[in-house]
Amino acid sequence: MKIDSLNQFFRLKIAIQTMKDNWKISLILTLLYMGMAVMYAGMYPAFKEIMADIAPGFMETMGFIPGIEDMASYVGFLNAEMYQMFWMLILGIIIGFIAASMISKEIEGKTIDILMSNPISRKQIVIEKYLGLIPMFLLINFATMFTIMGITVAINEELNFSYLFITHIVSIPYFLAVIGIGLLISVIIDEKMKASIVMIAVLVGMFVFRSISLMIPDYENLGLVSINNYFNPYEILKYGEVDTIGIVVLILITIFSLIAAMIYFEHRDIAVT
Amino acid sequence: MDVIVTKDLTKYYGKIKGIESLNFTVKKGEVFGFLGPNGAGKTTTIRTLLGYLQPTRGSATIFGKNIEENIVEIKREVAYIPGDLNIYGHLTGEQFLDYFAALRNREMTLLDELLKIFEVPLDRKVKGYSKGMKQKLGIIQAFMDDPEMVIMDEPTAGLDPLLQQKFYDFILKQKKKGKTMLFSSHILSEVDKICDRVGIIRNGELVALEDVETLKHKRGKKIRLKIKEKPETFKGPKDIKIKNGWIEFIFTDNIDQLIKKLSKYTILDLEINDFALEDIFIHYYEGQK
Repeated sequence: MKIDSLNQFFRLKIAIQTMKDNWKISLILTLLYMGMAVMYAGMYPAFKEIMADIAPGFMETMGFIPGIEDMASYVGFLNAEMYQMFWMLILGIIIGFIAASMISKEIEGKTIDILMSNPISRKQIVIEKYLGLIPMFLLINFATMFTIMGITVAINEELNFSYLFITHIVSIPYFLAVIGIGLLISVIIDEKMKASIVMIAVLVGMFVFRSISLMIPDYENLGLVSINNYFNPYEILKYGEVDTIGIVVLILITIFSLIAAMIYFEHRDIAVT
Repeated sequence: MDVIVTKDLTKYYGKIKGIESLNFTVKKGEVFGFLGPNGAGKTTTIRTLLGYLQPTRGSATIFGKNIEENIVEIKREVAYIPGDLNIYGHLTGEQFLDYFAALRNREMTLLDELLKIFEVPLDRKVKGYSKGMKQKLGIIQAFMDDPEMVIMDEPTAGLDPLLQQKFYDFILKQKKKGKTMLFSSHILSEVDKICDRVGIIRNGELVALEDVETLKHKRGKKIRLKIKEKPETFKGPKDIKIKNGWIEFIFTDNIDQLIKKLSKYTILDLEINDFALEDIFIHYYEGQK
């Protein structure tokens, strides 16, 4: 019996279906992020010219963005414009939005009833939905990386490609944590829109906490509750420095979110509304 | 053999009662009808049995397995047609059936037969299906791997009379093969037609649990007659009702006695009807509201 259920698990049919369901949005997001990478990296040569004219005081007001002080350099520019904002925050919100709707939309739309009529445990539904979202992120992740490489060569700027690669590797645990938190919200809140909005609120909230902690030294510890605190693309892109403890924390957040989601989903009622 | 056994099965939604201390069994090879008006607790019972809801108190077993411990094992042999069914709109009928066949992971022995009986536009997306088409797809997915038992929550909702008949025929055919069926309904005629036993539920409590035939038999026959004499002069059982010149009463004794009694009058018209389940149903719900 044990082997039987193990076999059933490794078939991963729900995960595969989740991937199929998301292929269009995966493709759109990938193209969007490739375009974004082309735009930001390609913008740098023009930006470099006017950089000298920007008052130094302006940068200080933007102190909530890690690595902003180095914005005049190519690495600093990529970090501030691309990675801190459009990668960690905006892509976090997009992926989190999708993750938070994963199970809530099935509960809201009542398709969970017929899905659960199959001999599959609720825990497995949570895990497979989680696994099903990972390929979408990986596609966006590496497509973006290769685009940045290409455009860097094209505009003849300097960038350590192995550091860039490491940045995109460390992006994986960061986004796995985002998906995990999203899925946890997804099993708790029954309405897909509400769940997604709560997820955005959580991510923006963490971003704000982190920003405050960077701006006001008294509130330094506030940033600890934020996942942004555990992944700093600037340090990696510039110096190749990886925050190992940060990665461990991100993995722990992922594991905790998934276990909490499984336990909560296992014990909640799926009532008719 | 008992397929479903419930013991004091109780479900409260917070303080609101869903079902209270349900005790009933469903035997192998029978069609068990679960009868009650909307909101009586039929769906709550079914969803508790299938692990969608956690029982507040009590327990139940299906095929000897506890519903709280072995629900995945149970679902290998028990299919379900949810009430107010919804199916993934972005998939075509065929994609949906393929997906579910993969999840069941065994041979779909009845699929071809079902597709012949319940025709659905397989290559069209489910979101373009009518309610009846969706319901047919729901029936197909439940029966396609020939499970030992199917639990159905108002399965004929949205089906036209012709399809309903096809569905009843199919159910009876499955029954002949020894399969068990539990289904909820508020349509009495269908319960009357296909169920062996019926449980009547009211306010979350089981008020009757009986063999459909005995239930009807016990209630006797409905007699309506018109006589040439004044209706008031007719002497019969106590609960005689006179409506538009028709004399109506229920007769449980030997029919021969009745005929002999009636011979004293000049009969203009006479109707003798079996007690319909509907009358029994109304009896159980009388005085409620």
